[in-house]
Amino acid sequence: MPNVPVSFDTSWIDPLTTRMQDDGPWDKWELFKLALEAEEAMAVQDFDQLQCLKYLPGLTPYPHQLETAERVLNEMRGRAILADEVGLGKTIEAGLIMKEYMVRGLAKKILILVPASLVIQWTKELNQKFGIPAVAQKKEYMWRQHDVVVASIDTAKRDPHRRHVLDIDYDLLIIDEAHKLKNKRTRNYQFVKEIRKKYCLLLTATPIQNEMDELYNLINLLKPGHLGHTTTFSSNYVEGKRQAKNNVQLRGEIGKVMIRNKRSDGGVHFTSRRVQSVPIELSKEELDLYDGVTRFVREQYHSGSGGFNSLALITLQREVCSSKEASFMTLYNMHQRLPEGSELRQQIMELVELIKRIETHSKAAKTVELIQNINDKVIIFTEYRATQNYLQKYLHEHGITSVPFRGGFKRSKKDWMTELFQNRAQVLIATEAGGEGINLQFCNQVINYDMPWNPMRVEQRIGRVHRLGQKRDVHIHNLSTVGTIEEHILNLLYEKIDLFEMVIGELDDIVERLSLTQSLEENLVQIIMDSRNAGEMAVKLDNMGQAIRAIRSANPSRVLADTAEQ
Amino acid sequence: MQKDQVKQYVERYLASFSSHIVEAHPDYLTVKLPVEVDKDIGNRPFYWSWVEKMNLAYQPLVLTFAFHPEAIPEGQRAEYLHLGAGRMQQIFDSTKKHGQFVCMYEQVPREGLLPSSGKRRSTPLVPWLALNLKVSLLCDKKRDILLYTGVNLHEPRIIHEFPAALFRLPLSPAIPDYCFTLERRITIQQAADLVQQEVANVLEKEDQSWAQEARTRLEEERAILEAYYEELALREKEPNDEAVEESGEQNEPEATAPMEPEIPEQTVEAPVQTASLDEYRNTGGRILDFLRANGIPVTPREQIDQTEWRKSTPTEERQRRMDELSWQYEPRIEIKLINAGLFYLHSTPQTRRIL
Repeated sequence: MPNVPVSFDTSWIDPLTTRMQDDGPWDKWELFKLALEAEEAMAVQDFDQLQCLKYLPGLTPYPHQLETAERVLNEMRGRAILADEVGLGKTIEAGLIMKEYMVRGLAKKILILVPASLVIQWTKELNQKFGIPAVAQKKEYMWRQHDVVVASIDTAKRDPHRRHVLDIDYDLLIIDEAHKLKNKRTRNYQFVKEIRKKYCLLLTATPIQNEMDELYNLINLLKPGHLGHTTTFSSNYVEGKRQAKNNVQLRGEIGKVMIRNKRSDGGVHFTSRRVQSVPIELSKEELDLYDGVTRFVREQYHSGSGGFNSLALITLQREVCSSKEASFMTLYNMHQRLPEGSELRQQIMELVELIKRIETHSKAAKTVELIQNINDKVIIFTEYRATQNYLQKYLHEHGITSVPFRGGFKRSKKDWMTELFQNRAQVLIATEAGGEGINLQFCNQVINYDMPWNPMRVEQRIGRVHRLGQKRDVHIHNLSTVGTIEEHILNLLYEKIDLFEMVIGELDDIVERLSLTQSLEENLVQIIMDSRNAGEMAVKLDNMGQAIRAIRSANPSRVLADTAEQ
Repeated sequence: MQKDQVKQYVERYLASFSSHIVEAHPDYLTVKLPVEVDKDIGNRPFYWSWVEKMNLAYQPLVLTFAFHPEAIPEGQRAEYLHLGAGRMQQIFDSTKKHGQFVCMYEQVPREGLLPSSGKRRSTPLVPWLALNLKVSLLCDKKRDILLYTGVNLHEPRIIHEFPAALFRLPLSPAIPDYCFTLERRITIQQAADLVQQEVANVLEKEDQSWAQEARTRLEEERAILEAYYEELALREKEPNDEAVEESGEQNEPEATAPMEPEIPEQTVEAPVQTASLDEYRNTGGRILDFLRANGIPVTPREQIDQTEWRKSTPTEERQRRMDELSWQYEPRIEIKLINAGLFYLHSTPQTRRIL
């Protein structure tokens, strides 16, 4: 072929000549034939057709995953952002692409950078699902000794690891949770930029969290200059921080390097979500505490006389919605920090007295009743450790087995708890951060014991069980104590904006188009704290809900929303 | 390879080493691995190094291979073998290692022999060299072409699809009675040259759009990079000046300029590969010595320096990206030998030239 360099391996000539001179030793005819057959089985007959599936008999990818792998290989030439929405299997897509390059002999040295909490999971999945001998990086020598290494970016960027990583030519670099690289001024970003690589995959469900620039920076890691220089990019495509212009053109350019599959594209069947509010009537004493704390928080928030920071007050307000145990610790700490003899100390002591007077456990009792009715595995989410501990004790007293789950657990403990839950216990009680990377699809019952004020967090909770692999409909039970803030919030999130029927990307989109200057959560806080009474709060929340709904029904015109349709 | 093909392949592989099959079942088999097989697929190099050093009797490894994932025998540790299984790749590697060079003679039927009345050794056998090649067309993608050529070493000429003809002939590793071999008029090197020329001819007729496309893409991407870095240089003059103020004079553009020629060329080729442990051991080396020679020393604590961090200059970055582009797209062709054989044939191989 014209100008295509050809290398003809001749290293076999000498050994063959030697054997001819010595008349042997010769190999067996049968093995000669078998060697040829092996080559025939392994030969890549076609440039474009996916080869890896015949090596993966145990794997049945979804059509959108196969299509993604093919597009990355054939159109994007191995440099792409995989930006599927949560739960559509970005890892599977990355695995397919990796396997394909390995089978074709185009990639040998591979580096996978992921958050530390996901290293073991990635290693396991590549070995079990893809037969790829990936190892989790532990010792320095492993950078060189092993071909496929999974490591945390925070380790890799530190000396002496950095020296090895920057010294190796990687055939393929994969970065999970790549939105963490959105800021080009960070060390992580610059480190990744320095790595020499042939192919590169960036995985993220949220390529744009806040600003258009984030996507620009990600693309610049893959293909510097693909969208031009920063200033050119800004003047050509950016209207405001979150607003794009020249959409069609920009979409076209982004579509060349990014694939975003959405749940709403169909093709993947997700089971339904069945959401149910469980109203709970508080006892007189419980209501007294709630009212007392709410009043106290409101006063302090506005007067500022006690010197409490507003965050602590808001926390207290949330805690009292969760359980008396959760609020007790905060009250106690506030008490200790105040000077002796302060009048506020007295006020707090009164609130603590209210706690002591409570003998009923309305919420917990209802939960036990729910669990007994469900008679299956249940995950209970709460935001507070105090609530978690108390619930575990309470369930135990009622003969229900449960295991705790927290973000602070080590990976091995998380795995162990997951296993206990699957095989031994009926209930898993998880605090907020417990989620990342843990799959609990075998369970389809979720109880939201308390409600986060940030809708994204609610979605993440549900996303633990409502994802690919969930075979049954997912039941979500939201505990709602009548006459409290919680009831209002639930009303807003669920009734007004149908949060539970939305998908993650959609919510993002809406918040963005609302052009709320602060996050949705901050807006909620403001409404709750500034309203003088329940009536005013209800009206304000209602307005917010209507604004969100109005935007939701408007036709989305965002860049990301449409790239998938390209 | 389908399940049944895998099974047949493994059975033939084991049979060619005269392996002792402990249990044969339609869905699985249990085998006591012979020494060579154990060394190739047994995954216990340390054991072998120890047995050989100490001159001990070895304990054969007994493995059970299952060929249907749903029919794995109960209560036994069986391993599901399929095309993608690691063990299957080891078996493939083992056949390539032990099926590299053969020398075979065509068995001439008695009636085919010239009358043996007067002279003995009267039937001539023509020497042929079989070269089975894998031609890989590479850019950011890859395709293999398998070329099975045969070179007549007596009257130099080349035929294709040589093995197909060979498989129809009765062959044996020993020269049959009353036969003699004709002289080889060209050397192996000369034969290789002929084949190389023939491969070039074949490639000429192949569709070449893949290489053109790869080149075009490479050029496009290069142009984008060029433009980007030019603009970068232009636009970022001002911020650079600010940076100087912050971080002292050594960052001045004038000061870095003379450094540029010293930027080490980035190697696009794969780094020098050390011999594998297997190769090393085959030449009689000790595992420990290998590890000492090839181990990666842990960086001593005092040499670890978190502050030593230098961002690439735009020039370096541009060069790196350019190198990556060539590495990714540059079309190239690699021709490797699968295996080779000397064949002494009485009949003229009947093959069609398919290309």
